[in-house]
Amino acid sequence: MFEEASEVLENMLKWSLPLSLVLFLVLVCPLRAEAAHEFSVYRMQQYDLQGQTYGSRNAILNTEARTMEAEVLSRRCVMMRLADFSYEKYQKALQQSAGAVVIILPQNMSTMPQDIVQQFMELETELLATETIVPVYFALEDEELLSIYTQTQISSSSQGSSSAAEVLLHTATANGFQMVTSGAQSKAVSDWAITSLEGRLTGAGGEDLPTIVLVAHYDSFGVAPWLSYGADSNGSGVAILLELARLFSRLYSYKRTHAGYNLLFFLSGGGKFNYQGTKRWLEDNLDHTDSSLLQDNVAFVLCLDTLGNSDNLHLHVSKPPKEGNPQHVLLKELETVAAHQHPDLKFSMVHKKINLADDTLAWEHERFGIRRLPAFTLSHLESHRSPARHSIMDMRPHVDLPKLSRNTKVIAETLARVIYNLTEKVMLHYLRFSTNVDQVQEDQLESLVDWLTAQPRAAQLVDKDSSIVNTLEYYLNRYLKDVKRHLVRADKRDPEFVFYDQLKQTMNAYRVKPAIFDLLLAFCIASYLGVLYLAIQNFGLLYSFLRRVTAPRVKQH
Amino acid sequence: MTLFHFGNCLSLAYFPYFIAYKCSGLSEYNAFWRCVQAGATYLFVQLCKMLFLATFFPTWEGAAGVYDFVGEFMKATVDLADLLGLHLVMSRNAGKGEYKIMVAAMGWATAELIMSRCIPLWVGARGIEFDWKYIQMSFDSNISLVHYIAMAAVVWMFTRYDLPKSFRLPVTILLGLCVYKGFLMELFVHVFLLGSWMALLVKAVLTGAISLCSLFLFVTLVHSN
Repeated sequence: MFEEASEVLENMLKWSLPLSLVLFLVLVCPLRAEAAHEFSVYRMQQYDLQGQTYGSRNAILNTEARTMEAEVLSRRCVMMRLADFSYEKYQKALQQSAGAVVIILPQNMSTMPQDIVQQFMELETELLATETIVPVYFALEDEELLSIYTQTQISSSSQGSSSAAEVLLHTATANGFQMVTSGAQSKAVSDWAITSLEGRLTGAGGEDLPTIVLVAHYDSFGVAPWLSYGADSNGSGVAILLELARLFSRLYSYKRTHAGYNLLFFLSGGGKFNYQGTKRWLEDNLDHTDSSLLQDNVAFVLCLDTLGNSDNLHLHVSKPPKEGNPQHVLLKELETVAAHQHPDLKFSMVHKKINLADDTLAWEHERFGIRRLPAFTLSHLESHRSPARHSIMDMRPHVDLPKLSRNTKVIAETLARVIYNLTEKVMLHYLRFSTNVDQVQEDQLESLVDWLTAQPRAAQLVDKDSSIVNTLEYYLNRYLKDVKRHLVRADKRDPEFVFYDQLKQTMNAYRVKPAIFDLLLAFCIASYLGVLYLAIQNFGLLYSFLRRVTAPRVKQH
Repeated sequence: MTLFHFGNCLSLAYFPYFIAYKCSGLSEYNAFWRCVQAGATYLFVQLCKMLFLATFFPTWEGAAGVYDFVGEFMKATVDLADLLGLHLVMSRNAGKGEYKIMVAAMGWATAELIMSRCIPLWVGARGIEFDWKYIQMSFDSNISLVHYIAMAAVVWMFTRYDLPKSFRLPVTILLGLCVYKGFLMELFVHVFLLGSWMALLVKAVLTGAISLCSLFLFVTLVHSN
């Protein structure tokens, strides 16, 4: 057979050169296998702040999946569900030099019990504090991912089973999964610009008016940038600031209520990264320009940070205000408004000195305090270390709209009292009647908060062309004058902040079988072929049997 | 899944053909070139069928879940061309009945194996992802071999001038079953919602039944003279 085969093949090859070319191309083309499941994963934060590195360093992955029950974790991708997550397990995975960690979060956080959510929030800062070379991913759970997890769990926990037959059967039926991420290794993003926005309302009555500055940082922070929606911190602050801008621009448009104070509104970026936006803005305004509102008469700076919930209200100061200053007036007015009109609100002042030895500043007002501008931060949180300020669990349900609207009313009324110098209710009623100054529309606040929490606002994701910045600018332009953008770029030689990319990747989970399975299959196929060979060799038996069956019938005819 | 798995599937698919070729004694008759010719006829017939289907049958635009029975039935009817092709091959070969049948069937089935199985196996079985369907595909090619041998035998019997009257009907029925086997299989799968392994088993049983019947008729015909 082989001689004639070779003859035939020679003839064929002569005129089949194009065919072989096509075959060659087919052989060489790269493989694109279909994945069992493809899903988006969000990587843990990775950034440098003032020289210190934080977060997960690595981004690529091509390893088998295991869950925590398995004994061998090294170089494997460890999958954990949020409900089973604990810091000890995470540490254990890292110590065994796992290849990667994937934490599966439920689609709807409100289904999780509160204590687990709280525990995770507290763990987030610890997760980020330890610098790790292992990539840590977060994925949102869906049915397929859950089934992959359960299958992996079953196979991981039964790795220590006893009998050989069980192991053999297990390898034949089990499904292993290989997790592969698309995308390259993470590298630093060069020349990232953090944008801040400012706008003003000029007071009535000539030069040298005192200025009141209202500040809120619009970015959010969490253990995974793509999952940090920052509803309360600081979506609530931004919503209140925009609402105040709207109210006071309406008031300032009437001569009767046009006060003798300049109002300067500032939406700062990079707030969660040690207030980079504010820092550079202050430097530019105080050091590099000749005249600016900040250099002259500043009455006080009020920073709004996390005001969307709870019945507490704290005014954080770095130096208690002295009698007779505008700051003291503000404090007194806040106390009065809170006590008389909103008795359910508990207001207090918290005094904390600025500690320059700390890695990061506590509140935003400290930036102003360093430059000798009188400043406060208003927040419902008592401590700047509260986990609610840096959590991915901080989503829309964390903002209680009636409380947010109540806080807005308190601040608006306090500011009105300060700038109009009114302490008597009579005048305030007149004002209220004539211009509806207290018409804080809850709908307006609601739509603002809904829009702010609809997309992640991490500083690494909001660049100067993003829709968030553009929308905020448009909004400010409607009510304020002189709306300007302010960009912060890290210094080239000694950068204050460095961001890394590859924060959102696609992970593929491929079904794989262990190598033993291939050998087993080969053995089975060999035995099947052996049986087939014997059957064909003895085909004559079947033939003669049938012949004998049909022969008597023929003979009878 | 790996190259090894690809090797497994390929050996499962190809070795039975090799064994059948060797053990049926075709090698003594210098039948290799004739098998290749049969394969070429297969290619030609498939091409004609494709052209015919593309020209005369519009694409089905109905609901996704509904199975177009009539349309698929019409398409299966076009498979009658397969019978014509087999007949053409067999008529060009001189020799005993068994020789003709085996040559035609081997060539036809091998061509089908190369054309419709090699590339999916190469592309799919070599990837990271594991799927049972590649093993099933290889088994299916084994079943096809038996099916084509039975089909060639039935075609040969149909065209014999000395076929007894009583055999006409069973032979015609078997011929019809052969042609519409694919259609029947899809019907079964759709109506009974069979799993892939069950479908394979049903296909094997059906093909086994058809081939046993045709073997029985063949033996009776050949040895009744």
